[in-house]
Amino acid sequence: MLKCTVNGKEIEVAEGTMVIEAFKQAGEDIAHYCWHPGLSVAGVCRLCMIEVEGAPRLMIACNTQVTEGMVVSNNSAKVQEAVKWGLDFHLINHPLDCPICDQAGECGLQDQYMKFGQYDPEMAERKVKKRKVVDLGRKIVLDTERCILCSRCVRFTDEVTKTSELGIFNRGDRSEIGTHEDKPLDNDYAVNVVDICPVGALTSKDFRFKQRVWYLDNDSTVCNGCSTGCNVNVYYNEKGYFRVKPEHNKDINDYWMCDKGRNIFKHVNKESRLLKAMKKTEAGTQMMAPGAAAKDVASLVKNYSSEQVAFVFTGQYTNEEYDDAMMYVDKIGTKNVFHWVNNPESFDDFDGILLRGDKNPNTAGLIKALEAKSFNATWEQLEADLNSGKIKLLVLAGPELQEYFPDIQEKIQLFSKAEKLVVLSSNPNPAYRDVDYLIPMKTFVEKKGSFTNFAGTVQKIQKMRLVVSQALSLNEAMQLMAGDELQVGANL
Amino acid sequence: MSIVKRPDIKSSWYVTSIVKGMALTFRNMIYNLFHKDEMPTVNYPEEKYEYGPRFKGSHILTVKKDGSIRCTACMLCATNCPADCISITAAEHDNPEVEKFPISYEIDTLRCVYCGFCEEACPVDAVRMGPEWQQPGLNGSSFVHDIQHLTRRPNLKGGYTSILDEEERHNSGI
Repeated sequence: MLKCTVNGKEIEVAEGTMVIEAFKQAGEDIAHYCWHPGLSVAGVCRLCMIEVEGAPRLMIACNTQVTEGMVVSNNSAKVQEAVKWGLDFHLINHPLDCPICDQAGECGLQDQYMKFGQYDPEMAERKVKKRKVVDLGRKIVLDTERCILCSRCVRFTDEVTKTSELGIFNRGDRSEIGTHEDKPLDNDYAVNVVDICPVGALTSKDFRFKQRVWYLDNDSTVCNGCSTGCNVNVYYNEKGYFRVKPEHNKDINDYWMCDKGRNIFKHVNKESRLLKAMKKTEAGTQMMAPGAAAKDVASLVKNYSSEQVAFVFTGQYTNEEYDDAMMYVDKIGTKNVFHWVNNPESFDDFDGILLRGDKNPNTAGLIKALEAKSFNATWEQLEADLNSGKIKLLVLAGPELQEYFPDIQEKIQLFSKAEKLVVLSSNPNPAYRDVDYLIPMKTFVEKKGSFTNFAGTVQKIQKMRLVVSQALSLNEAMQLMAGDELQVGANL
Repeated sequence: MSIVKRPDIKSSWYVTSIVKGMALTFRNMIYNLFHKDEMPTVNYPEEKYEYGPRFKGSHILTVKKDGSIRCTACMLCATNCPADCISITAAEHDNPEVEKFPISYEIDTLRCVYCGFCEEACPVDAVRMGPEWQQPGLNGSSFVHDIQHLTRRPNLKGGYTSILDEEERHNSGI
């Protein structure tokens, strides 16, 4: 460990630490664009200026290693002056786009200008005009004019995805960022460059112009797109959920997430949700409150003997829900509990960065909950029992992310061999047209709980904003179906 | 806390006050009958009062020289609005020079408090408060004004042109 003094605060840092990391550790503010903790050091923006005691000139914090007894500061007038004029150089050709720029509100350049700048520009020359709204494939839009050439995105494609699509072309003030011949930037992690872009040069097509960022709240949760369990921030307001960004967790996802995980908010919004429970009757479909439908199912459960009732679970619910659900399965008294594995062939795939083939956030949790009650029925047994007509009532705790269950139609046809089929699902699906009961469920942003990822790490998810307030969580639905009443305030 | 003691109603002799009040009323009435031009009230709607040109009345969305809407959908007016009466939906424009524009811009004038903060917040002189102050309507929905009404209602006589022109800005090198 090395001792150093940062802006008068004495701290101890590990050997090999850069001064900028020491600043972060000490909780001191330091301006920077090109430095990103997850990428290599470039040292091109020249804004993280510091004064080192004993050194005649200012140095950049991102490329200076801490030495024993070092005394550094960035609050002197000399540093402020250097940062101010460094910023002026960045702003020479930066367009006045803030009103239409998606980054406004979370833009490094805006923040730095408010803090260090606030001067009248002294540039007599005209701004260099560059290409705007360059289409880089289906995910990203590039604005070369706004770019300040920090090269974060170039380093990201070089170092993290190792695909090297992006580069800096031309020289001097005509330098532009881009892909060769504007080829699409279409790798599985492409949208991360939007997050790391300190200005609005790279914007996400999915989020572009949907909301201004200052209208959004955010909460951290765990991505439910696969079993990696990346830590993410979900951005939402009273109009719905709008985007997902990765959150730093050095053991799981570092600073990144995959582009598939960016879509996990889409099924949550009201227009794609199941709002009421549906019951199929002779007269047609009857709409009901979800709780009433679950109670209806409870009376069905009583009509059959316990061996005639079966439950099928998918790995998309929380540990707490599974634990409670298994308790109520026990109460009903059946041993027919099955685990629907959506893609057995590609289940163990891994792309080497983050994406895993197991597209369920909590397969490990479900397996554990099943083992705890020693439910070990196999899928073949379910098929045999359905074909022989032994199972009369089947309850399916359906998937939340239906896109990862491509065989949903065939599976529902198989399940329909039972006399009565009850499906618990957060979203409608054409396959559910003929099921006897369809009960709306809460999504992962509407309940508390925890997911166990592929490595057995248990991570908490948070309850954010309710979209369908009547929807049930799995444990509530199971409790009602087992014939119990819901307790007020007991809801997860 | 001090308590105000009101005089007992029975003990006060109120007839004199009434006589004084009526005397004032009738004196003014008779005076006005003979000096009609000095009367501060107007016979609305036959007569209409003309406010000054700086009066902050009904909102106007300005247009560019080519007649397209000036607003860039930056939402600063909606953010600054204390009454939360402006709702904007932004969209991608075909022209990369414009990039962003509002496909819907609605002002609920029944919620509006006519404070003028939207006009102040606007970076491109896209929303102004005009001199009109009469807003007849049949029901609540006729007070929620859309882009068409805000830019091209007949009273605007073809629309107001913004003083900030994008093309001029580009040509001057900013």
